[in-house]
Amino acid sequence: MKKLISILLALLMVLSLAACGNSGETADGGAAQDGGASDGASGDGAASELPSINDITLGEDYTDITAEIKILTNRTDIIDTVYAGYTQQFMELYPNITVTYEGITDYEESLTLRLKTGDWGDICFIPTSVSKDQMPNYFISFGSYEELDPIYNFISDKSFEGQVYGIANGGTADGVLYNKAVWEAAGITEMPGTPEEFLEDLQTIKDNTDAIPLYTNFAAGWTMGAWDAYIWVAATGDPDFHSNIVHMANPFSDRGDQTGPYAVYYTLYEAVSRGLIEDDPMSTDWESSKGRMNNGEIATMVLGSWAVNQVRDAGPNEDDIGYMPFPITVDGQRYAGSGGNYAYGINCKATTDNQIASMLYVKWLVEESPMFEDEGSIPALKSAPMPDVLEAFDGVILMSNNPAPEGEETLFDDVNLESEVGLNADDYPDAYIVEAALTGSQTLDEIMDDWNAKWSSAQETLGVEVNQ
Amino acid sequence: MKSGSMAASGSKRSFIQFLRDGKTQRALTIVLFLLIPLVLLIGFTYLPFAEMVRFSFYNRDYLSEGTFVGLKNYVEVFSRTEIFGTLLVSLYYMGGAVVQLFLALFFASMMVFKAKGSAIYKACMFFPYLIGGIAVGFIFKFFYAHGYVLDTLLGLFGIALEDCPLWLQDTKINNIALVATSVWRYTGQNMVMFLGAMMSVDSDLYEAASLDGATRWQQFKYIILPSIKTIIVLNLILSFSGSLSAFEPPYVITNGMMGTGTYFVIMNRLAHENQKVGLACAMAVVLLGIIVLCTVAQNLFFDYVFKDTREEAAAKRAAKRQKRLAAAGK
Repeated sequence: MKKLISILLALLMVLSLAACGNSGETADGGAAQDGGASDGASGDGAASELPSINDITLGEDYTDITAEIKILTNRTDIIDTVYAGYTQQFMELYPNITVTYEGITDYEESLTLRLKTGDWGDICFIPTSVSKDQMPNYFISFGSYEELDPIYNFISDKSFEGQVYGIANGGTADGVLYNKAVWEAAGITEMPGTPEEFLEDLQTIKDNTDAIPLYTNFAAGWTMGAWDAYIWVAATGDPDFHSNIVHMANPFSDRGDQTGPYAVYYTLYEAVSRGLIEDDPMSTDWESSKGRMNNGEIATMVLGSWAVNQVRDAGPNEDDIGYMPFPITVDGQRYAGSGGNYAYGINCKATTDNQIASMLYVKWLVEESPMFEDEGSIPALKSAPMPDVLEAFDGVILMSNNPAPEGEETLFDDVNLESEVGLNADDYPDAYIVEAALTGSQTLDEIMDDWNAKWSSAQETLGVEVNQ
Repeated sequence: MKSGSMAASGSKRSFIQFLRDGKTQRALTIVLFLLIPLVLLIGFTYLPFAEMVRFSFYNRDYLSEGTFVGLKNYVEVFSRTEIFGTLLVSLYYMGGAVVQLFLALFFASMMVFKAKGSAIYKACMFFPYLIGGIAVGFIFKFFYAHGYVLDTLLGLFGIALEDCPLWLQDTKINNIALVATSVWRYTGQNMVMFLGAMMSVDSDLYEAASLDGATRWQQFKYIILPSIKTIIVLNLILSFSGSLSAFEPPYVITNGMMGTGTYFVIMNRLAHENQKVGLACAMAVVLLGIIVLCTVAQNLFFDYVFKDTREEAAAKRAAKRQKRLAAAGK
C-alpha cells in the first residue's frame, strides 16, 4: 500500500511538473508569436482594420459599435465621482458603449505584472516600466508619429519606429510651487533667476517669517525623485539634452555657470546644508503638507504643476498659491520643461470592436472632456488653451524633451538603469543628496563624481560611444 | 495506470469492485487529500522558486526575457559593499530579537502565576501582532515624528522638545527606533507561544515546589525553563531569520534612508526602481543561503548546549543508581 501511494505521488508530481513546463512553453511561444504578429501587423494588416485616431470624427463615426470596455486607472480617489461623470457624458454620445473604470492602488507594480497576462482590460495608463521597444507587444498604434505630432502634445515619449502607442493624459510644466503671500511678507519683490538668488530668497524667508522656507517632503520618496525633472530643459535650455546625455562624459560635473544638472542638485544640497528646510525631513507628510502650504506654514515646494490645484484646494487661500519656473537662467533666457502625464494605451489583444470603442473614448477624453480644466494640466491637444496656472511663465520657453534618434530609443533607459543613477526612475539617489547634506557625510562634488563614475561604467558596460 | 494494471492482473474483479475495496478507498482518499496541498505547494512555492533561481543567472527586467550572464549577478552581489553592508543593519534586528525573547519570557512567566487580570494583559500584549505590518509602520511614523507622540510623552517628564533627538533621522538611534517597533509587534506573539508551553507543565509541579519552599525564581529556573526549551529555540530561530529578512519597518517608516536600508529594502530598490530583476533574484538566493547557514549554525549550537545538560542528567542518574545499588549490596 505504501509503495503504491509513493509511486502515485511521484507520478503525480512528475506529471504536474511536466504539465506546468509544457503550458509555460506554449504560453511563451504564443506570446512570442503574438508579439511577432502584431509587430508585422502594425505596418499593414491592422492599419487597414483599425482607424488612426486623427481620422475619427467623434459622434459621427462608428455610432453602431456595441462594446463594453474597461479602463484601468491609478486615480482611485475620483473613480466614482469625476470619472463616473465622464463616462455618462461619453455614453450620451455613444449609448452602445459601456465604459467601466477599475482603480488600482500600487498602480505601477500591479500593472506591470498584469500586462503580461494580456487579459487586463482595454485601456490603461502605460506604466513607465514598459520600455519603448516593448510597446508594440502590448498596445495598438494610434497612428503614425508624423500625422499625430502636429495635433497632440507629448507623444514623442510613447512613439516607437514611427508609430504612436500612447496619447498623454495632458501634461505638466516643471516649476516651483510657492506661497505668494509668504514670499511677499518676507519682502521679496523679484522672482529668483539663479540657484544662488533662490537660496538667498529662502534665507530671507527664514529670517523674516515663521514659515518653513523650503519643504522637501523627504519621507515620501517620490517627492525627491521629482527633482530629476529639472535637469533637462530647465537646466540646459536644450531639448536634445535627454538624448545626448547618454553619450556625454561626466554629465553631472559643475559647469561653473549655475546651469546643468549640477546646478539643480546644488540648489537642493545647499538648501539642506544651510538649514533652509524643515527640522525633521524624516517625519514629513505629503498629505498634510498641502494644507500647511495653503495656510502659509510652508513657503516653497519643488513639484510639477499638477500639484498646484491640489494645494489650492487644500484650504481657503486659493489665490496665495503661485507657480514659478525653476531658478536657472541659460544665456539670459529662462526655460521650463514640460512633459506628458501617464499616456493612454489600448490593449492589442482585445477584440477589434473593443479597440475601436477604446479609441473613441480616448479621443473623447483628450479632446472633448473637461478633464484638463479639472486637473489644471496642459491639454493633450496642441490647439487648446494653456491653463491659467502657468501665467507666471510669460517669456519662459516651454519645451519637452525631443525623442531619441532612431536606433537609440531605449538607450537612455538602458544606461540610466544600468548605472543606478536612476534619473526619473529611482528616488533614492536624490534622497541621498539630502541625507549627505544633513549629516555632512559627503560633499556635493563627491556625490556628483560618484554619479559620473557610475554613468561612465554603465556606458562602458553597454558599449555606448562617448563624446568628449 | 499502475493500480489499474494491478487490478487486472489480480483475480478478475471488475473495476467497480476494485474501487469499492477498502484498501483502494483508503489509498484514493490519501491521494486526493494530498493532491490539493501538493499542487498548491508546488505551484506557488517550488515552481516560482525554481524560476527565481533561473532568473538569477540572467540580466533581465520584468517584461523582457533578458540574456544569460552566468554567475555575473552573484559576483556583483558579493563584490558590492553596500549590499553586504546592509547585513550589519540586520544585527540591530537580531539584538532586538534577543530583547524580545527575554521580554516575552518575563511577561509569560508573570502571567503563568495567575496574576490578576491576566486575560486583559494577555489581550493587550497580543493585540499589536494582529495589526498589519504596514499599519504598524504608519503608526510609528507618527509616533516618532518630531514633536508628535513620543516627544510629547517625554515632554510630560520635563524633557524639552529641543532636547529630544530626531528619532528617525539621527543615524545613531534610528535603527534602534525601528527595531523597537518590531519588538513591540512580536513580543505578544512570542509571549503567547511561551505561555502555551508553560501551561502544559503539570500544575502539581508548581504546587509541590512551593510546598518545598521554592521561590518564584527557582520555580522558573528549574521547572519552567527546562520544559519550554524547544519553544525557546524555535522562537529564537524564527526571529533570527526574521531579522535577516526585515522589510516592513524600514520600508514604510523611513524608506530605507539614513542608513536604515536592510537587505530586503535594497533588493526591492534594485528590482523595482532599477529593474535589475536578475540581480535581485541572485540576492534572494544568497539570502536564502545565509538563512540556511544561520539556522544550521544555531541548531548545532543548541545541540551542543543541550547535550551537556542531557549528559549531566544522565550521569547524575547513573551515579544515583550506582549509589542505590551499592546501598542495597551492603
